[in-house]
Amino acid sequence: MKKYLTSVLNILLLLVAVTYGFAQEKGNLLIKGGTVLTVTKGTLEKTDVLIRNGIITQIGKDLSASAGVRVIDAAGKFVMPGIIDAHSHAALDAINEATSPVTAEVFTGDVLNPFQVGLYRALGGGVTSIHAMHGSANAIGGECETIKLRYGVKDADALRMEGAPRTIKFALGENPTRVHGGANNIVPRTRMGVEFVIREAFSKAKAYGEAWDTYNKSKTQKGFRGAPPAYSHRLETLSDILKGNIIIHCHSYRADEIYMLLKVCTDFGIKKLVFQHVNEGFKVAPELAKFGAMASVFADWWAYKFEVYYSTAYNAAILTKNGVVTSINSDDGELMRHLYHEAGKTQKYGGLTDDEALSLITINPAKQLGIENRVGSLEVGKEADVAIFQGHPLSTYAIPVITVVDGIVRFDREKDPDDVRIYVDPKEPLDASVIHSTNDYVDNCMQQAESNYNNLFELK
Amino acid sequence: MLALFTHTFLVVSAQDVRILPAVSRSYAITQVTVIQGPGRKVEGATVVIKDGLITAVGKGVAIPSDAIQVKGDSLYVYPGFIDGLSRTGVNKPREDVPKEKPKDPGNPLPESAGITPYQDVRSFLNPLDKSIEEWRALGFTVIQVVPYGGMLPGSAAVISLTGTADKMVMVPGAALYAELTTAERVYPNTILGLLAKWKELYRQAQQAKSYATLYASNHTGVESPGTDRVLEAFYPVIDKKAPVLFKAEKNLDVQRILSLKNQLGFNVLLAEVKEGWDLIPSIKASGASVFLSLELPEEKKEKEKIDKEKLKDDQAIVPDSLERKALEKRKADFTALYVAQALAFQNAGVPFGFSSLSVKIKDVQPNLRRIIKAGLKEDDVLAALTTNPAKALGISDRVGSIDPGKIANLVISRKPYFDEKAKVKYVFVEGKLYKVEPAVVEKTDAEKKSEKP
Amino acid sequence: MTAVNIFIKLRVAAATIFALITLQLYAQSPKAKFGTFALTHATIQTVTKGTIEDGTVIIADGKITALGKDVAVPQGAEIIDCSGKWIYPGMIDGGTHLGLSEVGSDPRTRDFNEVGDVIPQLKALSAINPNSVLIPVTRVSGVTTVIATPEGDLMPGTAALINLHGYTPDQMFAGFEGVVLVFPNTGRKGFLDRRTPEEIRKATDKALSKLNESWDLAVQYHKLDSASKSTKYYPEMQALLPVIRGERTLIIEANTSKDILAVLKWVADRKVKKVILTGVAEGWRVAAEIAKAGIPVIAGPVLAEPTRDYDRYDKAYANPGLLKKAGVTVALRTTQAENVRNLPYNAAFAAAYGLGKDEALRSVTIVPAEMFGVADKLGSIEVGKNATLFVSDGDPFETKTNILHVFIGGWEMPMTSRQTELYQEFLQRDPGVTKK
Repeated sequence: MKKYLTSVLNILLLLVAVTYGFAQEKGNLLIKGGTVLTVTKGTLEKTDVLIRNGIITQIGKDLSASAGVRVIDAAGKFVMPGIIDAHSHAALDAINEATSPVTAEVFTGDVLNPFQVGLYRALGGGVTSIHAMHGSANAIGGECETIKLRYGVKDADALRMEGAPRTIKFALGENPTRVHGGANNIVPRTRMGVEFVIREAFSKAKAYGEAWDTYNKSKTQKGFRGAPPAYSHRLETLSDILKGNIIIHCHSYRADEIYMLLKVCTDFGIKKLVFQHVNEGFKVAPELAKFGAMASVFADWWAYKFEVYYSTAYNAAILTKNGVVTSINSDDGELMRHLYHEAGKTQKYGGLTDDEALSLITINPAKQLGIENRVGSLEVGKEADVAIFQGHPLSTYAIPVITVVDGIVRFDREKDPDDVRIYVDPKEPLDASVIHSTNDYVDNCMQQAESNYNNLFELK
Repeated sequence: MLALFTHTFLVVSAQDVRILPAVSRSYAITQVTVIQGPGRKVEGATVVIKDGLITAVGKGVAIPSDAIQVKGDSLYVYPGFIDGLSRTGVNKPREDVPKEKPKDPGNPLPESAGITPYQDVRSFLNPLDKSIEEWRALGFTVIQVVPYGGMLPGSAAVISLTGTADKMVMVPGAALYAELTTAERVYPNTILGLLAKWKELYRQAQQAKSYATLYASNHTGVESPGTDRVLEAFYPVIDKKAPVLFKAEKNLDVQRILSLKNQLGFNVLLAEVKEGWDLIPSIKASGASVFLSLELPEEKKEKEKIDKEKLKDDQAIVPDSLERKALEKRKADFTALYVAQALAFQNAGVPFGFSSLSVKIKDVQPNLRRIIKAGLKEDDVLAALTTNPAKALGISDRVGSIDPGKIANLVISRKPYFDEKAKVKYVFVEGKLYKVEPAVVEKTDAEKKSEKP
Repeated sequence: MTAVNIFIKLRVAAATIFALITLQLYAQSPKAKFGTFALTHATIQTVTKGTIEDGTVIIADGKITALGKDVAVPQGAEIIDCSGKWIYPGMIDGGTHLGLSEVGSDPRTRDFNEVGDVIPQLKALSAINPNSVLIPVTRVSGVTTVIATPEGDLMPGTAALINLHGYTPDQMFAGFEGVVLVFPNTGRKGFLDRRTPEEIRKATDKALSKLNESWDLAVQYHKLDSASKSTKYYPEMQALLPVIRGERTLIIEANTSKDILAVLKWVADRKVKKVILTGVAEGWRVAAEIAKAGIPVIAGPVLAEPTRDYDRYDKAYANPGLLKKAGVTVALRTTQAENVRNLPYNAAFAAAYGLGKDEALRSVTIVPAEMFGVADKLGSIEVGKNATLFVSDGDPFETKTNILHVFIGGWEMPMTSRQTELYQEFLQRDPGVTKK
């Protein structure tokens, strides 16, 4: 009987391993002799990194791996944690459900697209995980998904970073006021309205939560026959924010609206707050630091809208020096590919040190996504997301050469294939070209809300 | 003395034409090769039909005295084909929707959002639709039809390609039909909103249903819940009495629909699948039934004339370069995956039917031949046209094979059906004989050509 | 005050001091200064005549009057000790909207895109806002000269080369104007463009006939005007006249390889005399043809995505290098308005992915100067040229490098901009957090 149970158990374990393994491949690697930029624990010259089953198991000298494990010669190269982009719209088939100012019920994780070539191009820039976000057309947008760039998988679910904390997109300022107030005559049309929409949503969610608590308590009582409160996916999600189960990532620019949200969150007891773009964050850096809110900014984008006309590339440095956990993001498929260069700009605009600058694209965005225990630095026990560079990553001449996700080499410049498309459109002509203009003036967060935007501004 | 049915004359007033019904409802098809089902061929056999049913099949079967005889020499008889998803015979609803700007796009009326699951396709059936005859001429006898609409157009019905709007219905409310079609200008305007709305509707329906049951058992002392036609349309699905028939054309469509199914728990019929080959394991694991699309991407002709126009296009990539050759090969290899999709399902042991929603009529037989050329056996193609869909639609006790007691749905062709030169000669639907005029068939093709969208 | 607060305050104080030093703000006036300057003990990157170690540049009357190792410092010259520093020619951006656009999404601030498809007579120069906030932000990074160009369908106007100093467009004008032709484009305009290939082809054919029609009219007009000075007011033709006569350059934007080849053919057929090709995103595919035609190109932005899904990921970075290798003359542009300051970084990526550092530097200095016919004044550090240069503490293509002094036409620029002023004010904000 015992023997039978053991073999059944083994079969079950095997099935679990096979299913788990099928969903998330993990790899083994030995990266030898590089300059290891741990970001959190200093720089180690001529040091090896050993990876087993997708986890960094050892960092040291003269390490060896078992037979059959690929050895990457990193002599003369720089080994850093895989870059994390805390604001992206890549890997998504839809970005803005712009028909209502509050759409907390939608979820970008429902519409992941693993076939986008842009994901491979980001790997070519050393990026290993991104925050795939809802757009900024709504004051309260949808839940977002943190994914790893496991380019090559065909299963959309396989991109998810399983167990990463829930996050949700909020947006303040010109975008929601233009889309709803400007185009459809719906609140919000002003920053006053944006505050009201958020307070109203939270208040309704609070009432919803209380109604369900009451019902759940009452229904255990004998003879109770009342109706449950009407189920609302939207209010459920908003309730979860109030309970502290979801991190708010809020697209924002002006100092006063940033300050406004700090007050609203204080009033409702919300602590998990990260501001996105936050071009004027430097103007309220002391308040941000006091609240414990974090900031994810552009290195030097500004003046594309009026609300960023009075901002500065020194933003990241000012925030950092005032004690705000700051990251640099891209919000753009092109910019994402050289986030290491964007981080380098903070050395010009504010004199950040190498480790400070590198933190902006590694451990800090990890903290903002709640995954700092798993990625964001090269430490034993962390997941093996690694980027290897020819030249120091903060030099503009640096070239990413190998990018590793979960211990698997997902980008190797020496073996870069001619055509990385996974699916080919049989109807597209062979020479279909897309000319990317930088003068489109449709900011990426507004995709799919652009018809409203265009009508308002008479853009062609 | 066989009755001819060319509907163009039927539409004209009854005074001009006197319809002469058949003299008998008994038929015997003699000396014919019968393929009763996949792998069940009988040569020199006789098929006897009476009052809409098959009464006998086989060699040396007795021919009743009142039977009209159809000489079957050099003819082939197959069970009538079954189509998993179609809009043949379905009228478009009238355009009542006002074109003005919606006032509150976030809270539209369900109709504006395409949420009309309470609609019944039976309200839109039109037995005089020309395309019924065109599909019948290909050998299709039973089809599953759905209404036009948005994300939830209404319920599907399985119909026979014969009879009046009521008589033709074999299975009413066969499934709840759904598409990943977003609404215009109102919520849900993107796939994001659509999937969230689906989950919310389903959960609200579950809640409403359990409360309705509670309320029905005792009405006193509690507020009336009223009714909600949208949510009530989900009740048969929640009870697992009907599946959701989901149009699932692309790879990501299938992934998203299976994800919905796993989260909510409904039974699903995936239809019009075009890019399913990479998803076979998850489709198998989900237990979903599958109808593959008959539409296939065009293939480049093998011997291509040097087209001056085309050369100009390709000049951009430097003619005859390695890159161009590699790109063309990739395109061809990928196109081949579409054609080999059915074979992939067969090899993985996942049964499938076919659906015709996007394919052009003139491409059906050529595409079936392409699929066979890619390696799928003729018997397996026949199964996909007959026994598999019959099982998936829950009607295999009635149709899908030529056996006594089953409905007389038959396709009779000169030469085996999958031959390049095969021509359908007769089709029986519910025991009614339709002669397929070669003239009609050609006119259909020409008509289709001149009817370019 | 908690330990953390003290720590933060100390850091901020240290950073403020550091900022003040690097930005030299305590000694700075917001006005530009004209005069005689001696920049001593610098490593001088002349671009055309090699590197001079421990060299001196003398600036007087707006020009470089002396240059070398042992150069006498004139009486009364302001001496700037550049020990351990570098001097470079001011960088030139071959295509921007600087001065023609202020807040990108606000059409009221955009002046480069007029209504109409054949409007070559519209002058970008007149519409330049010399007081644009974006200009100081740009020049403190060492970009001193840019092309400000109109944009639109077919012939949107005449572009102008401007120096980033001056209170009127004429004071800024750097001596070159070119008529812009946006060649009918067969590629998709961004990923939102969902037209079918047939629709694109139809639109392109229509635009091409309009172009040919306009050009033929212009040739006729030229013939008539040559015969008898025409007094009839016909601004479009009058604007094209100098192009047809070979006196003014036609700046042609083309990006897909098919379009570039079409341009080369069109230019040859119509015997257009002075041509510059801009954009050339797929130039690498037809580099040999471009080289054979002898037409110089302005490539960019380098920091862009490849044009085709199946292209290698680094194609846009590698494009300038591949063009140069095939023998094409290459200058660079950003196409920006508010971030023209990133020109050196575009150049750095082009350098790293194949162009090489030397050629990359030339592509933002002497090469564009020669293309625009102003190499007698700009593009390198040589005696007799304008004193348009900058002093840096390292390689200006690296982000660690700070630009310390910028001269345009002999004027020393204030090293302040809106961005530096905001840094000053908010690095350590006073008052800080309101204590309850």
